[in-house]
Amino acid sequence: MSERAAGSRNRLTPRLRVATHLLLALTALAMVAPFIWMALTSFKTDRDIATFPPTWLPSSWRLANYTDALSVAPFGIYFRNSLIISVGHVVINLVLASLAGFALARYRFRGREAVFLGFIAMLMIPTYTKIVPQFLIAKTMPLFGGNDWLGSGGSGWVNTWWGLIIPGAVTPFAVFLFRQFYLSIPRELEDAARIDGLGEWSIWARIASPLIKPAFVTAGLLTFQESFNNFLWPLLITTDDNKRVVQLGLTVLKESGEGFTTQWNLLMAGTAMASLPMIVLFLLTQRYFVQGLATTGIK
Amino acid sequence: MTTVDVPPPVEVARTASTSPSSRGRGASSRQRRTAWLMVAPAGLHALYWIALPVLATFVLSMTNYSVLAPLRFVGLGNFVKSFEDPIFRTSIWHTVVYTFFTVPVSMALAVFLAVLLNQQIRARAWYRAAVFLPQVTATVAVATVWYQIYDPYSGLANKLLSFLGITGPAWLADPSYALSAVIVMGVWQGIGIKMIIYLAALQNLPDELFEAAELDGANAWQRFRRITLPMLRPATLFVGVVSIISAFQAFDQVYVLTRGGPANATTMMTYEVYKNAFATFQMGMACAKSVVLFVFLFGLTLLNRKLTGGDEDE
Repeated sequence: MSERAAGSRNRLTPRLRVATHLLLALTALAMVAPFIWMALTSFKTDRDIATFPPTWLPSSWRLANYTDALSVAPFGIYFRNSLIISVGHVVINLVLASLAGFALARYRFRGREAVFLGFIAMLMIPTYTKIVPQFLIAKTMPLFGGNDWLGSGGSGWVNTWWGLIIPGAVTPFAVFLFRQFYLSIPRELEDAARIDGLGEWSIWARIASPLIKPAFVTAGLLTFQESFNNFLWPLLITTDDNKRVVQLGLTVLKESGEGFTTQWNLLMAGTAMASLPMIVLFLLTQRYFVQGLATTGIK
Repeated sequence: MTTVDVPPPVEVARTASTSPSSRGRGASSRQRRTAWLMVAPAGLHALYWIALPVLATFVLSMTNYSVLAPLRFVGLGNFVKSFEDPIFRTSIWHTVVYTFFTVPVSMALAVFLAVLLNQQIRARAWYRAAVFLPQVTATVAVATVWYQIYDPYSGLANKLLSFLGITGPAWLADPSYALSAVIVMGVWQGIGIKMIIYLAALQNLPDELFEAAELDGANAWQRFRRITLPMLRPATLFVGVVSIISAFQAFDQVYVLTRGGPANATTMMTYEVYKNAFATFQMGMACAKSVVLFVFLFGLTLLNRKLTGGDEDE
């Protein structure tokens, strides 16, 4: 989305301008307030937490909440796991989805329309229409995790990197996004490269793809976000701390305090650590996020 | 761009001679084979991890499949049992209520914010980022923050209410407030993505229309009501469908905030599917409930299309 602001709609009178700012500032505050509250609470001392009514600011800023949270739950391992999975998803998705998108945009082969419609149909399938069998397929993966060749007897891909990474590795959404972008660039360069004797794979890798770098950035960011924030699939497919991801670790931290008094300061410190990577990434790359979500949504 | 492998000269000639008009017509058999190889990994992945599971959901919904008992075909038995189950009926109702309140409310707020943000004002990128922030952050993380906000003693919600002299309830522990609490968080989180889509749609509208309307003496509200909203219809259709689909599948926030409780006051269809499949291991029953969820979504998508009359605009 361009930063263009519409021309004629902008002749705001000073009073309207102030009103607009006021409304937007109030809304922005309401949207950000929970995050500020999270940050403030994450620095409070145990005594601040026990004070009623709660104070806005910590009486003294206790940074040790963060290291304490790290000792209650192994966030280091959670982060490592989240990163391995998210980066794995991004790499696999960018390569395989862009290849498929390129083929669908550029070659006329029998069944192309059907394949494309198939991707569109699968794009619209709700998570809950596939999640239970996905788990069963992973669990009965033949010859893995003690399974025999019929897929019974063991745990298959449950609690393995395979199970965490492969099932969600390629998204029909990315295939669709790439196809649209490849369609939008001129063909002449590719034809010229063909005449120069470049093979089709090289044309994809060296001619066409460099022209749609923004698509790669957008698809990469959206894939990373979806993967890093995903909760349901890791919840189903993991059974121990060594494979757990950040979002799952957060619920472990939350439940570790339940039944007793919840250590809100530690929980909020953990939450801050779990959300910070995505927030920073978003603030740095806002333009691509917004562009990706908006253009693919409308067109 | 150096030459890597030299294709047979005939082919070079043909590609060259047909390229200006061909637009992909007349791809050689080698090119067609390459194309299939390029589509194959993503295509097979989608078949194996999406198409097959969807098919399996429908098939398994008519069996008693569980990890414990041998597989038996039970026809529509699971569906009959589901609808006889008062908790599942409640969960359908909660899902509908949750969707009914979160989707239209955040859509209205989103379109309003988008119009405000579609003006040349300072700091608009910052406002936009603030509104979009809850959407970027993991639902589990923001739900954990709201879990603390709703805490009756140390939470922000009751602190704010105390300024008004109100003693707030134990939001998540009280069956009469828990669902509202989940809904408020849903509205808050859902505004961002809707606003972004509306904003993009607004920026594609031609300025001339608004200029003409302004010359004709239409005021801001009239322009919004008579031009902006009708022109945004395709965006509204899209936002509506996407939002309904995601609201119907709300799970993470329920898991974190209430676990469907207290006394099933916030359980949703998704949570019932989860319970059946992964707490009691009644996979067949879980699939039947997923099918019910699917039918709801399918019906609502069609209805939305009809109501907004979107087809011809796209």
